[in-house]
Amino acid sequence: MNLRLHIWRQAGPADQGMMKTYDLAGVNEHMSFLEMLDVLNEQLLNAGEEPVAFEHDCREGICGTCGMVINGRPHGPIARTTACQLHMRSFKDGDEIYIEPWRATAFPVVRDLVVDRSAFDRVIQKGGFISANTGTAPDGNAILVPKTDADHAMDAAACIGCGACVAACPNASAMLFVSAKMGHLSYLPQGQAERSTRAMNMVLQMDAEGFGGCSNHYECEAACPKGISVEFIARMNRDVAASALFGRD
Amino acid sequence: MRSFSVVWNTTIIQKWVMAITGICLVVFLLAHLSGNLLVFLGPEHMNAYGVELREMFHGAAIWVVRLGLIVALILHVLSGIKLARLNRGAKAVRNDKVEHRTSTIASRSMIYTGLLVVVYVVYHLAHFTWGVAHGEYYHVVDHLGRHDVYRMVVDSFHQPLITITYVIAMIVTGLHLNHAISSALQTLGINHPRYTPMLRLAGPALGMLIVIGFLSIPLGIMFGLVK
Repeated sequence: MNLRLHIWRQAGPADQGMMKTYDLAGVNEHMSFLEMLDVLNEQLLNAGEEPVAFEHDCREGICGTCGMVINGRPHGPIARTTACQLHMRSFKDGDEIYIEPWRATAFPVVRDLVVDRSAFDRVIQKGGFISANTGTAPDGNAILVPKTDADHAMDAAACIGCGACVAACPNASAMLFVSAKMGHLSYLPQGQAERSTRAMNMVLQMDAEGFGGCSNHYECEAACPKGISVEFIARMNRDVAASALFGRD
Repeated sequence: MRSFSVVWNTTIIQKWVMAITGICLVVFLLAHLSGNLLVFLGPEHMNAYGVELREMFHGAAIWVVRLGLIVALILHVLSGIKLARLNRGAKAVRNDKVEHRTSTIASRSMIYTGLLVVVYVVYHLAHFTWGVAHGEYYHVVDHLGRHDVYRMVVDSFHQPLITITYVIAMIVTGLHLNHAISSALQTLGINHPRYTPMLRLAGPALGMLIVIGFLSIPLGIMFGLVK
């Protein structure tokens, strides 16, 4: 198939950047979206142009590295699918495709489609962990976890930290990400000790990074490649309120 | 220990403030509407209700409620403006192409509909409470010497310009409520697969009901149901 691609090109963080149009011929429908970009980059390199910079790692939909806004949707048109798992059969011959980076003040563009998502790392450093003493491993099954709690924790832990929620949100809010990271620990007994501290610390860091507030548009839930529910945001709202009212730190 | 202001200024606590004060304002709207609908029962009930409202607990009740409403409104508006500015800054650059899937015109225009409602409320108070705007309808007394609320309402809504302004204001309020009620519940952490699908329908439905209720008054007057 033949495609017309409109891609955001930006040489560096300080560069203004602009949309550029490329025609790409002979795209195979079995290619993944990133393979299609690989082919485009081959073409650009052969013509002596700079290839389009984009992030990718596992290309299996589990690492959260890839991410781009495709025709106005983070990760493209297929629900619960990362850009690397999106295939060209989801498009048709003659399509025009707009490819842009995540847009958020907290995610500055590094180059082309690559944004700096280290704000997420700093949020995690504030509370996305539990403190455990080292030494002999505890007995397996010494701490009982009800099945439904384990299931909910796993639902939250499915978050791959790709940032699609921030990209989809009209406010560039990171609440789906932060609430997933909080929720996956708060459903487990091991996460209880630091639950209150964690809630407030992570939210304060989230605000400090310049993410917006949640207006309950639920665009994040629709864009999340792992289908994480906004129920976790409600849970975070409860935890943060409890921490504000009763927390001692 | 973190100070009050640090915690108060987090996005989530600001959202809580917005949700709680918003619910207070919705409860007020319901009370206000139930009083206003007395217009359909005629001048006797309406004017007696006006007197009762002003004299309940030796005139204290109305001021307690007013004070609560003023505080709720100020907090609601302040947190709304604060969050809207923050949100705008957080998304300073937008994508060329954006597809909205779950957000609505109502949810994306909350700050604008909200500010329009505030402007309308000031005019509405000037009209029906302070008697500054359209004073000719305000300073009327009934046969018992009471403030003739009924006549004021009916005569006012005989003016097309007043009615049109009111209808527009109610549509804007409806747009605001369409997102506001179910959104507030989510902010307060009320979300469970057992009832949230229902609440997401009930919020806009309640908003619609409130607006229809308020609109029934000028429409009732226009179509001669209330004379």
